[in-house]
Amino acid sequence: MSRRVAAVVVLAAFMVLGAAASSEAAGPLDQPGYVKAMTCSACHGASGNSRSEAVPILAGLSPAYFKKAIEDYATGKRVSAEMEPFAKQVKLLGVDEVAAFFAAQRREATPVRADRNAVERGRAASTECAACHGAAGQGGQGDPSKLGPAIAGQPATYLKNQLLLFKADKRSPGDEPLTKMKAIVKAIPDGTLADLAAYYSSLR
Amino acid sequence: MTRMTRRQFLRTSGSGVGVLAVSGLAGCASTSGEIEPKAGRRVVVVGGGWGGATAAKYVRATDPSIEVVLLEPNRKFVSCPFSNLVLSGVRGLGSLTFSYSGLREYGVKVRHEAATAIEPDARRVRVGDGFLVYDRVIVAPGVDFLLEQVEGLAGAQDKVLHAWKAGPQTTELARQLRAMPEGGVFVLTVPPIAYRCPPGPYERICQVAWYLKTNKPKAKLIVLDANQNIVSKTALFRAAWQAYPNIEYRASNKVVKVDAGAREVTTDFGDKVKYDVINLIPPQRAGAITVQADLVGADKRWCEVDHITYESLKHRSAHVIGDSTTGLPVPKSGTIANAMGKICATAVVELLNGRSAPAIPPVNTCYSWVSDREAMAVVNAYKIENGKVVQVEQKLTPGHSTVYAQHAEGWAKSIWADVLGSGGAA
Repeated sequence: MSRRVAAVVVLAAFMVLGAAASSEAAGPLDQPGYVKAMTCSACHGASGNSRSEAVPILAGLSPAYFKKAIEDYATGKRVSAEMEPFAKQVKLLGVDEVAAFFAAQRREATPVRADRNAVERGRAASTECAACHGAAGQGGQGDPSKLGPAIAGQPATYLKNQLLLFKADKRSPGDEPLTKMKAIVKAIPDGTLADLAAYYSSLR
Repeated sequence: MTRMTRRQFLRTSGSGVGVLAVSGLAGCASTSGEIEPKAGRRVVVVGGGWGGATAAKYVRATDPSIEVVLLEPNRKFVSCPFSNLVLSGVRGLGSLTFSYSGLREYGVKVRHEAATAIEPDARRVRVGDGFLVYDRVIVAPGVDFLLEQVEGLAGAQDKVLHAWKAGPQTTELARQLRAMPEGGVFVLTVPPIAYRCPPGPYERICQVAWYLKTNKPKAKLIVLDANQNIVSKTALFRAAWQAYPNIEYRASNKVVKVDAGAREVTTDFGDKVKYDVINLIPPQRAGAITVQADLVGADKRWCEVDHITYESLKHRSAHVIGDSTTGLPVPKSGTIANAMGKICATAVVELLNGRSAPAIPPVNTCYSWVSDREAMAVVNAYKIENGKVVQVEQKLTPGHSTVYAQHAEGWAKSIWADVLGSGGAA
């Protein structure tokens, strides 16, 4: 076989293989938003399932909640030097697709175990939270004024840090839907906020 | 920088991973010695650092019909980020050391061997006496040192440490710091840009100064910086250094000579500085194999790439990622290498499947530890405009804090798993 013929045969074989590969079952690239959300995993984990203590899990977040968070980070209402530039980047890439990608991912609860006593104390203090976040922290349903995000299984340190930001009115100040949340949190001692964080992180 | 002839280069670059041992072979291809003849489509990844390991994993995760062979001589992955904490004794090197087993779970064929040459025209990588054929090669060799730019350095590498590739040198430099006399002088030199991890030397200054302040209050840290000012997070480091009056910082002091016997360095002004312990971070360029493979640009130091596919502008079948690249407005950081690894892997998969690569910009986050418990960060966001990566915004944390240290720990935990697979923890 001459080299040219061999090359043609090899090329044809490649085209067949290539066609076979591209007609195979859907891979990650076929998920809408996959490539646009790809770089987030450096901090937020595979498919948005953060395995660390202070970085939130994005998997399974409602698109509305995700988009509000991106908007508030981008405008600086939710102050974070670490997230503000990336929020702007996500908006340029297309926040709808990124939000849809994370919403479609199955949430794997944090592997960071919370202190058992703190969890029990948190459970006892959680009655007020359930109205908006659901009895099991699965997120509010129905009444639009009570649509708190799903917080079950988020890492405790992240939840605690956010509760402290709410308490100090440093998270989206002046935001009307958050006034009730802030009023509730303001009356709760820091230690109890840590217990609540431990409790909700322990829920599955 | 000084221009080098090819012969000078070959003579002086023996310090890397032996990649140039058979560099003269590029033009005399042999047909024997093929290792693992390939059946389907194959990607060879040269170098298992932050970029290469990420790329290898993501090619497999994205399209398992593509065979991936990763060539990495080291059996363990040791994280450069956080390794400055080993010098201060805040962390042990073991906590930064990971196996490559997580990549094997993705079906990556990890070979602990060095690539000795890349032949882009023949599409093959030489390994020892044999070669591997590829459809696409992803070249991620990191940096190598320009030892010849500092007189006396090449012959004193066992005594004059860089600790700029985490590993045995990190542990040894930590030992030297501990053994330093009470009133001793530690000299740290910063190379001219571009070098791996722009804030890295300044974080190291914090860690050494913190250690000395805590354990040897009479000792001094003299910094000889080849640059005109602190290269990264300038105001934040200046603020952090307020806590360390033991730092004597000298900008525009390029070290050109070291005398390990006399324990003395000489700057380009002819100033001589005595030391008890030296940490000389040498000037850098792309990993040596990129020079052999003709992937470096006119500067003979770094590799220019397409900003969307990371294909070398000199040889399109070769992609270059991580610290070896140039021309993008990004730092040589672990986060950037990880992002490039993912984006390049996607491009490779799409190109091998006859589709076009999506235009995805990288991201950057660099945390720096300023003490045993506080950190700060710089963050860069990007977009792609007219086929080029353009920075959207750079933002610094307002200062350092323990909360940013929590975020730093979270970043490390997540990104190590992103690079190596979750099974990679040692």
